[in-house]
Amino acid sequence: MADKSNDPVAIWQNMIGEMEKGFNAFANKAMESPEFSKVVNQVGGVSAGAQKQLSDMMEKYLVSMNLPSRAQMVSMAERLQSIEGQLNEIKALLHQIHGQAGAPAGGYPAPPPRPPRTRRPPSAGGEQK
Amino acid sequence: MNATSGLDLASIPERIQAEVQRAIQRSIKGVEYIATSGPSLGSTPKDILSVRGTMNLYHYRPMADEIYRIPILIVMATTNRGYILDMVPGQSFIEFLLKRGYDVYMLDWTAPKPEEKSLAMEDYVLDFIPDCVRQVQQDSGETDVTVIGYCFGGVLSLLYGSIFAGGPMKNLICFTTPVDFREMKLFQNFSDRRYFDVDRLIDSVGNVPPEMILSSFEMLRPASRAASQVQLWENIWNDEYVKSYRMFDRWATDTLPLAGEYFRTITKDLMWDNKLYNDTMSVGGRKADISKITVPILHAVAEHDHIVPYDAAKPLIQKIGSADKEEVMLKGGHVSLVAGANAIKRLWPKLDSWLGERST
Repeated sequence: MADKSNDPVAIWQNMIGEMEKGFNAFANKAMESPEFSKVVNQVGGVSAGAQKQLSDMMEKYLVSMNLPSRAQMVSMAERLQSIEGQLNEIKALLHQIHGQAGAPAGGYPAPPPRPPRTRRPPSAGGEQK
Repeated sequence: MNATSGLDLASIPERIQAEVQRAIQRSIKGVEYIATSGPSLGSTPKDILSVRGTMNLYHYRPMADEIYRIPILIVMATTNRGYILDMVPGQSFIEFLLKRGYDVYMLDWTAPKPEEKSLAMEDYVLDFIPDCVRQVQQDSGETDVTVIGYCFGGVLSLLYGSIFAGGPMKNLICFTTPVDFREMKLFQNFSDRRYFDVDRLIDSVGNVPPEMILSSFEMLRPASRAASQVQLWENIWNDEYVKSYRMFDRWATDTLPLAGEYFRTITKDLMWDNKLYNDTMSVGGRKADISKITVPILHAVAEHDHIVPYDAAKPLIQKIGSADKEEVMLKGGHVSLVAGANAIKRLWPKLDSWLGERST
């Protein structure tokens, strides 16, 4: 097997790893300073405000163009997800009702009954399944 | 072998051949990577018990013939999606629990809508969690419930457990849960009260955008994203590596926005005033003192956690009122503690042996 110290691929991977560690440590040190916090929060505060204004403007523009905004699309996707969820719930309920009434031949199979809550840990003589 | 250089001369042609093959594979797989989507995550069969705004309660279908008496409610962190605990078959914590005979429920979160910006800490601790616990009790027919909280889900579970110390929480498991927020040094600096105007931020944006949450996580290790992309390119010939990269990358970038009022409380009460550690925390006028929690507790922490450093998590076991308490420190980071190869080998079996004895 080739010695790792002479393997160019291993040397390259090691170098990337060391560079990552070194840069992270250096940046973390710099980020601990109060000056960093001051600058980041000044810039962050301004950009958050500007972003909000821009997104409000875009929203108005999209409304005027009769187009949906990203927020509306996300909201629609979430509503669809929620409808899907509710359909699943209804399906689960129907399965339950069907099961209780004794499902006719060809109907939905009844959901498996819940397993008994009698399991014991292996140390207490229970069996690990 | 060349004794002076340590270089195995005979292996050089083989190495060159292997590298050429990898280079060809990189080109083919690189195109495949762009053209295909990642593996489907969070696919363990489950039923949705309840959806209310940002709150989602799932029940996973049991996989064992016999299950433990006490059901589990997992409380997910509000910044991230719950599928980190249900990646793919064979690498899913949920699947592991189900196969070991636990009855598992999960309180997961979706992005709060703009009109949910007024959701406050009390909505999470005094409404969402108790509501889910009630539904778990109803659905399972059991009074006792084990609560598992991941990261900030652990903080919410601690607040819930300290306010409702009389029950029905029977056991508590926390993963990498911060208590002493002074020790989250970089987050402390990002939210320095002299420069960070949280009121102005919340009043202008409503909910805290996910990009902001993601960039604050990424700032903790600013070189890691670029380095991971270099590593991905090197390993793109390796299907298992690519699958794993895609799963974790998708989860890490799938950050949720945070409800404005809730974030305001986190910043002021926890980051600035460190109220949980100082025993002065209250939620909706109800005192939340973690020394009031007396149920058995297991706290799993990661040795190399860059998001919740050990010093921030350490006081949990010291301050909690339980007599039956254990902290377990495992190798790995914030995410690899609960998902990935280390978790499968270390955390999951440990948790099973601890919880099994307390779930009958």
